[in-house]
Order: sequence, then structure tokens, then C-alpha cells
Amino acid sequence: MNLDYSLLIPEYLLAALAAVVIALGLYDTRRARTYLPYVSAGGLAAILVVSLFYINKGPLDFAGLVQIDNYTTFFRVLFIGITAVVCLASAHFVRDRLRHAGEYYGLLILSTIGAIYMAAGRELITAYIAMELLSFSLYVLVSFAKMDAKSNEGGMKYMLLGAFSSALFLYGLSLIYGVAGSTSYADINAALSNGVGDFGIAMLMGLVLIIAGIGFKVSAVPFHMWAPDAYEGAPLPITAYLSAASKAAGVALLLRLFTEAFLPVLSDWRWMIAALAAASMTLGNLVAIQQHNIKRLLAYSSIGQAGFMLMGIAALSEMAASTLVLHLTGYVITNLAAFVVVIAFYNASGKDEIADYRGLAERAPFLALSLTVALFSLAGMPLFAGFATKFLLFQAVAKEGLLWLAALAVVNSLISLYYYLLVIKQMYVGETEEKVRLRVPAGVNAVIVALVIGVFVVGLYPQPLFKATDNAVHAVFPTTAAKQAHDTGSSPSESPLPGR
Amino acid sequence: MGMEQAWLIPAIPAAAAGILILFGKYLPRKGDWLSVLAIGTSFVLFFFVLHDLTDALARGGEFTAVHSGREWVRIGSFNLRIGFQVDQLAAVMLAVVSFISLMVQVYSLGYMKGDKRYGWYFAVQSLFAAAMLTLVLADNFLLLYFAWEGVGLCSFLLIGHYHERRSAAEAAKKAFITTRLGDVGLLIGAILLYRSVGTFDMSTIFDAARSGQIDHAYLTAAVLLILLGAMGKSAQFPFHVWLPDAMEGPTPVSALIHAATMVVAGVYLVARTMPHFQVVDGTLVAVTAVGLITTFMSAAMGLVMTDIKRVVAYSTLNSLGLMFIALGAGSVTVALLYVFTHAFFKALLFLASGSVYHATDELEVTQMGGLAKKMPVTAAVFTLGAMSMAGLVPLAGFWNKDELLLSTFENHNIFVYLAVLVSVLITALYMTRLVLLVFTGKPRNEHVYEHAHEPGPAMKLPLLLLGVLTVFAGFVVFDGVGRLMGLPGGFGEFVFTHEPEVFRINAGVTASSILLVLVGIAGGFYFWGGAAERAKAVGEKMPQVYSLLRNKFYMDDAYQWVIDRVVLVVAGVVSWYDRVIVNDTGVNGTADATRFSGFLLKFHETGLMPNYALLMTVGVVVLAVIAFIVGT
Repeated sequence: MNLDYSLLIPEYLLAALAAVVIALGLYDTRRARTYLPYVSAGGLAAILVVSLFYINKGPLDFAGLVQIDNYTTFFRVLFIGITAVVCLASAHFVRDRLRHAGEYYGLLILSTIGAIYMAAGRELITAYIAMELLSFSLYVLVSFAKMDAKSNEGGMKYMLLGAFSSALFLYGLSLIYGVAGSTSYADINAALSNGVGDFGIAMLMGLVLIIAGIGFKVSAVPFHMWAPDAYEGAPLPITAYLSAASKAAGVALLLRLFTEAFLPVLSDWRWMIAALAAASMTLGNLVAIQQHNIKRLLAYSSIGQAGFMLMGIAALSEMAASTLVLHLTGYVITNLAAFVVVIAFYNASGKDEIADYRGLAERAPFLALSLTVALFSLAGMPLFAGFATKFLLFQAVAKEGLLWLAALAVVNSLISLYYYLLVIKQMYVGETEEKVRLRVPAGVNAVIVALVIGVFVVGLYPQPLFKATDNAVHAVFPTTAAKQAHDTGSSPSESPLPGR
Repeated sequence: MGMEQAWLIPAIPAAAAGILILFGKYLPRKGDWLSVLAIGTSFVLFFFVLHDLTDALARGGEFTAVHSGREWVRIGSFNLRIGFQVDQLAAVMLAVVSFISLMVQVYSLGYMKGDKRYGWYFAVQSLFAAAMLTLVLADNFLLLYFAWEGVGLCSFLLIGHYHERRSAAEAAKKAFITTRLGDVGLLIGAILLYRSVGTFDMSTIFDAARSGQIDHAYLTAAVLLILLGAMGKSAQFPFHVWLPDAMEGPTPVSALIHAATMVVAGVYLVARTMPHFQVVDGTLVAVTAVGLITTFMSAAMGLVMTDIKRVVAYSTLNSLGLMFIALGAGSVTVALLYVFTHAFFKALLFLASGSVYHATDELEVTQMGGLAKKMPVTAAVFTLGAMSMAGLVPLAGFWNKDELLLSTFENHNIFVYLAVLVSVLITALYMTRLVLLVFTGKPRNEHVYEHAHEPGPAMKLPLLLLGVLTVFAGFVVFDGVGRLMGLPGGFGEFVFTHEPEVFRINAGVTASSILLVLVGIAGGFYFWGGAAERAKAVGEKMPQVYSLLRNKFYMDDAYQWVIDRVVLVVAGVVSWYDRVIVNDTGVNGTADATRFSGFLLKFHETGLMPNYALLMTVGVVVLAVIAFIVGT
């Protein structure tokens, strides 16, 4: 058993940073509120640099529980980056509207560890505990605005339903353990490859329950009901975090679990994921049309996005997985850009109804432009990240024989454009009585600029990122021989992956 | 800095364009200096690239183009590159584009002063320079096509610069739509080649074409479609109608885009894809035929037009036609020599006309006359340009005309040669006419005459520089001159199709060309000298011919008739179908259905947690039941 503790240095540092932040928050609370976000973001940036040293190291596993490979490294960087951005975006919001800043930032950082181990875990119990670490932090954070009834309501619903879904998930895990006799992904894979004998139904039930549990995490229909309430009730930066980190972590777990453990029984679960994907994108996008609150709109849009991501799992191939991670990254950048703008607008005006965005182009032209870029990207318009990543993802999905799903996804992208355009129309065409320019702090503007540039970079020149996701995904896929075994049936495709 | 870094040459103006579009209005002087600085830098960088190229050539051996660039997207076997290549052909085009762009931008500093959209003008100029430089450096059809559309867009924007004026807006639209017809051809041609070879990369495609890997029918179609693209951009018959109207744009734009650079993109494209044309029999004949028709129609119309810029525009059409004839003879050397020298004297002609217009606000030659007294420098350089266009020895225009005649004489049949000779005569005639009408004789309009004055230094400097080049640029055909510049020899030994061509003079051909030019100039003096009465008399004697020419062979009217009676009628039916059936029923119907289903679905979100949990349970049960049925 490998017990090389140096593999986990980034997580030690994160835990230490969380402790320091919480401790600092206890002294001189007033000033701590102001400087803590910058301490957190600075620390996170440093840890991000540390995690970069793990690129192309490994794959090394730690006690058979977690694996440090390019996949883990990719998600480490992504999650730490997300948390850093959310910390910066929280600065003014937390200072003006929340108490206990130390705990707020500390919990955010702790939850990042959970997210990372969801991607890194290669053993069912570890993955489960990591998921709970993320979830428990989020239950608290969603209801962090103690005086706000909506925040309490959202947090309570999220926690109770979360407990329900955890129960489902755990029950699923135990069924799989019963079938495979092990909780390690590799052993499960081996056991399933050898056939499950009389345990076919038990395995199917296990898969259903596991999918339900993770489906809750990524807010896939019909396990999505908590999302709109939690998104609306949570403090805005936490909504951003929910839509970015929590969803990405769910996908990361799902992708590793289903490739490393469940790939041999692909045909048994493909239809389940495909069905959830189809239901999520359709329902999410249709109901989004009816929303009049920007947070709920983004909640439903993120449900629709969960559908696109599940599609990549349903079409599981190395190519599809790589494009899925690419799409996920583009989505995270875009969504954060949208949320940072929404937060900046809320800080300046205290409003979050779509109607309040009327005439924003005059009051804050830069915010309006950035939000437009982000929304166009979410809809998948060319030039922006969303187009490039969706195009590659849909193409990979179509190639795996799920043409109907890809077609549905295209139709849904079209529907999504409609409600995004409604927001853009308010900002540019709507007239407003208030002519006062909104003041946006320079730091926030800088974050927005960085994210918008990211949206364009991914949209126009996705090649470097694509290479990175490719390397990441390559780590979780079984060896080529096993892959060919699974590929028989589909056409002997030409080497689907570049750069090797 | 060498050929590997050639991508910097378009990248710098592109960056400038980006900055100017976004922040131009906050910069001092609206950022005009940035635009000029960027193209100036590109022009300087060109010399480094040229130096590197001549070094490579001097090392001897088989020189093939130097490629650089990087991958843009790669998915499986599908690969798009942003790739650049430098070879002799690209070098000549780089020289022309970067130098003329620089001259025109400097000139614009004076010409456009006080313009309402001054900053925007320079932003688009930079964008154009970036697109045009990319076009000549692209090593694959896709990038070339991007750049191709880019210059088209800039052309559209600049022709319509004064878009408050209806005629300018119409002209911009006409230019855009007409060239689009050709562009589509280029795109389809490139896609056909991609389908059969599996790459957009030009050199690979050429190799495949030479070795016969491409299906002949495919290749023929692709070549003809590419020719269509070239014809659209280079305003060849029957697409030529957009070019004279494009004169609605500011004059520096006409000099840059519609004389020296963009319109020769078609010539460049045919020269670049010459390997294809040589593989498919008969395509070069098509190129020649197109060139001949264009040359003749435009020369004839040049005789009767009275708008100074339009006459120059017709002379551009005339030249472009001649370039196509040179290409039809399979001679890249002659075509490129023509592009090279033509750029200088045609830009000079336009900029000098611009100087006249800038001073007098008048474009009609019938209102001018005697301006030489008021603006001697302008008159001198304009005359120089006109004589060069006419092909007077030893100006730049003479050398390319001589080379053209020689190559036509040797490669085409005698009728083509004779036809070109006749066009030489007509060209000399109408260029002389233009000079006489504008600058000599008595002022026809006192008001215009009063206002005429020489331009300021920003405008005068490019005029003089181009004037010098109009005299000397033709000498690049000589070995000695080429060697002085560090090239391996004369122009023909630098740019060539198969093997270096040494400059030759065929006494008979040269003598007949000189003679015809002199006859033409003399004829010009005879008909349009003094009050131009003899010309009027001829016009009155042949009223049908005169009005045929004045009305541009009625081609505009014919196109208009087709648009009104055919296109618009069909469009009307389609539009009705679209409005009523597609839009009201189909689009609005589905939209309403979509919205309504969203309305119905939103009620599933009740806000009550037991319902939420119930739905989750239902989801699990449904999945489990299906799994149970499927699994057993």
C-alpha cells in the first residue's frame, strides 16, 4: 500500500488555509470581513500553483483510496480556481450583507477539498465521504444569510433532500459492493468484466440508485427540484459556487466512477443516463423561459446544462469524455462570468429580477456587455466558449451513435437562446427611468475582464485547453486493449484523439 | 526575424485594428497614428522577411515556400491551421500591400481630416491591411477564405463610409453582393478540394492535383469555382459592374482597395493556384476569354465617361483584364509584374484625382479644365500616372505592357495578340483624353477653378513617392537592378512558374507597342485637344455607339431588370410563404407551443418539499422498473 503523504500536499495546504481564515475571522471581525476574501484568494492562488507541480506525475495512488493523476490535477486546478474567483466575487457581498466572514470563507475552502476528492477518489466510500464534505459545507453556506427566510428555506430543503439522496446513493453503493465484493473502482471493473451471474438485478438497482444520488448533485431531472429554491435563497456568490463547483464535482465523480468502474456494463446504464440527459435539458430549458428572477433563470439554465453534461457520460468514449471536460470547463468560466456580473449588479442596486436589468446598457455598459458575452456563450453562439465546447461535445456524442440526443441538444440550445436573449433585450432595448451610473469596484471589473477573456480564448482557440482535458481524461480511461474490447460493436474509429 | 515570423506582418495591423475599434475614441487624434505606425512596422518587417528569403534563394538548391503558423483546432483527423507561407509570390504581394497601405494611410491623414468617422476609418484601414496581408500569406484555403471575406467586409464598410448618401450605401451593397457571388464559388471550390484530398493545405492539394489523385471532374469543377471567386474579387466580366460604383468611397480607399490591392486578390488567387489551372485543360482559355472581354468593354467605356474617378476605375478594369490575359498565357511572372507596377501608378492616379476632388469638390471632368496652372504638382504626377497607364516608354507601365505583349505573342494565338494591341491604343487614347480635359484648356467652371489648390504635405508626400516609383518601378525587370536589390536577378528570375524567365526584348513587339502608344497619345490630342470639338463630332456621328458606351453596354440595366422582374418576384413568393406559412404558423406556432409547455411545466415546482421527494422517488422507481423489465 502506497502511503506517500506528499501526494496530498495541496489538500493539507487547503485545510491549513481554511483554519487560518477561520481563526483570522475571529479577531477584529469588522476588518476581517474586508481583507479575508483577498487572503483566501491569494492563498488559493498559491495552492493552485503548487498543484501545477503534479502535472504528468503519476498516476500514483494513495492507499488505494485516491489517485493523483492528470485527471485529479486538472480538477484540482479547476476547483481551486473556481473557489478563488468566488472568494473575490464575495468580497463586497459578504462585507455588506453577511456576518461571520471567517466561517464563510473557511467553509468555501473546505468544500473545495471535498470537490477535489470527488474527482480523485477511486474507492466508493472515499468518494461518498468527499461528496458529503462538499455537501455539508454547502448546506451551511446556502443558509448563511440567517436573517433571510428564503435563504433558510433553501438551505433546509437542500439539506433534507440531500440527506434523502445520500441515503439512495449509499444504498446503491452497498448493492454494488454486494455484487462486486469490493469498493475499489478497479476491482469493481474486474468483477463486472467477469460477468455478474445471478446478481444482474442487484447491479442494475445499484446503478439506478447511484445515478439518482449523483443526479441530485448535478441537479438532473427528476432530482433537480431543490436547485431553483436553493439557488434563489442562497447568498448570490454561493449560488455561483453551487452552479460551478458543485456541478463540476458531481460530473467529475460521475465520469471517473463510470469509466473506471462501470465501463464494462456500459450498455446497462447508458440508456438511464441518456434518459436523464434528455429530460434535464428539455425540462430545464422549457421552464427557464417562464422565469422572471435572474437567479431562478440561471438555476433552470444550469439544469439544462446538466443535461448536456450527462449526454457526454451517456456517450462515454475517450473522445466524448474529453469534450465533456472541455465543455464543463468552458461552462464554468462562462457561468462564473455571468454570476460575477449578477453579483456586481446586485451589490450596486440590491435587485435580482430580470425586469430590473432594463436599460443596464446605459447604466453600466461594461456589465451589460459582459453579461451579454456570458449569456451568448451559454447559448452556444460562435466566437464564444459555448460554441466551441458544445460543438465538440455534440459531435462526439453523435459519433457514439446517440444522434437523437445530440439533435435534441441542438434544439434545446436554440430554446435557451430565447430566454438568454430576453435578458439581453432588457439590458439593451429596455428604457429605464433611473439614469444613474452604477458603480462597480475596479477589482470586480478586473475579475470580469479575466473571465470574459477566458470565454473568448476557449471560444476561439480551444486547442491548448483541449489538449489539457485530453491528457486529463486519458488518465481515467482503461488501457487501450480494454478499450478496444469495449469498442467492438461501434465502428473501428480512427484514432479519436489528438496530440499523442 | 525571418520568414518564420512572417505572421507578425498581418498580426500587427490586426492588433491595431482591435485596439482602434474598442478604444479608438479615447486615444489622442482618435488613434490614426497607431494605424499608420502599425502598417509602417509591417512594412519594415517585410524587408527582414525579404532579406531572409533572398538569403534562402542565394543558398541555391530547390527552394520551396517556408511555412509557419500553428494549429488552431484539431479533432481526430480534422485539422485546421492558422498557417502562413512565404515564397516569392507572397513577397511581391507583401511589398505591394504593405507599401501602398502605408502610402494611402499617410495620405488619408490629410484627406480625411475633419471627417465625422475619422477614427472608424482608420480602424477599418488597419483591419483591411491585416486581412489583405493574411490573404497573401495564407498557406491553406480556409485561412485564405477567411481573409478573402475579411477584405470584402472592409471594402463594403469603406465604400459605404459616407453611408448617409444613398448612392454610397447602394454602391457598398452592390459591391458586397456582386463579389459574394464569386466568394461562394471560392468556398465551394475549396470544400470540393478538401473533400477529395482531406486537407485545406495548398501545397498538399497541388501535389495531389499534379499526381492525378483528384478525380478529374471534381478538379475541373473546383478550378472553375475558384476562378469564379477570382473573377468576382477582380471585377472581371460579368461581375465588373461593382467596381465603377465602388468609387463612391473615399478616394484613398479607391486607391488602396479598388486599384492596388483587393481587386488584384483574384489575380493573386489564380497565380497561386496556377498548378491547378495547368492540370485541367481549357481552364486557362477561360481565364483568357474573361480577361479579353473585360479589357475591351472597360477600355471602350473609359473613352466616354466623364467622372474622373470612374475613368480611372475603368482603366483599372482594363488592367485587371490584361492581368487575366497574362495569367491565361500561363505566365505568373507577367501577371505579378503587372500587379506590382500597376499598384504604384494606379494608386498615384487615384490619389492625384483625390487631390483634385479634395481641392475642388468636383469629380465631373466637364466642370474642370486648366487646373494644371493651379495645381502643378498634382497635374504633373497625374500625367505621369496616366502616361504610365498608357504604356509610354520608359515609365513603369511600359515594361509590364511590353512583357505582356511578348508573352501573349508567344503563348496565345495571333488574334489575342492583336486584340491586346488594339486595347493598348484605346488605353493611350482615353488616358490622354482624361489629362487634357482635367488639366489643360480653358476652365469650364470658374467656381471650381477658383477653389483649386495644391494639397498639404501629408497628401503631397505619398504623391511624390509614388511618382518616383512610377518612373522607376518598371526597371525591376533588369538583371542589374534586381541584383542591386539583393534579388537573384530581374523580376522574371524572382517570380516564375516553372523556371526563371530572363528578360528579353523582341524588337518587333516592342516597336509596335511604342508606336501604338504614340499614335494613341497623338489621337488623344487630336480629338480632345483645345475644346474637344472633334471628339464631340465623332460622338454625334455615332449616337448609338455613344449611348451604348455611356450606358455601360446596358449591363447595369439588364441586371436591374433581372433583379426587379425575376429575383424580386420569386423573392416575393418565397417571402409570402415564409411570412404566412413558415413564420406565422411554423415559427410562432412552435414558439407558442414551447412557451406554453414551459408554462405548464413550471407548476411542477410547487415549493413543497414532500412533492420534491416524491418526484425523486418516482424517478428512481421508474428507472428501476424499466431496468427490471429490460434486465430480465
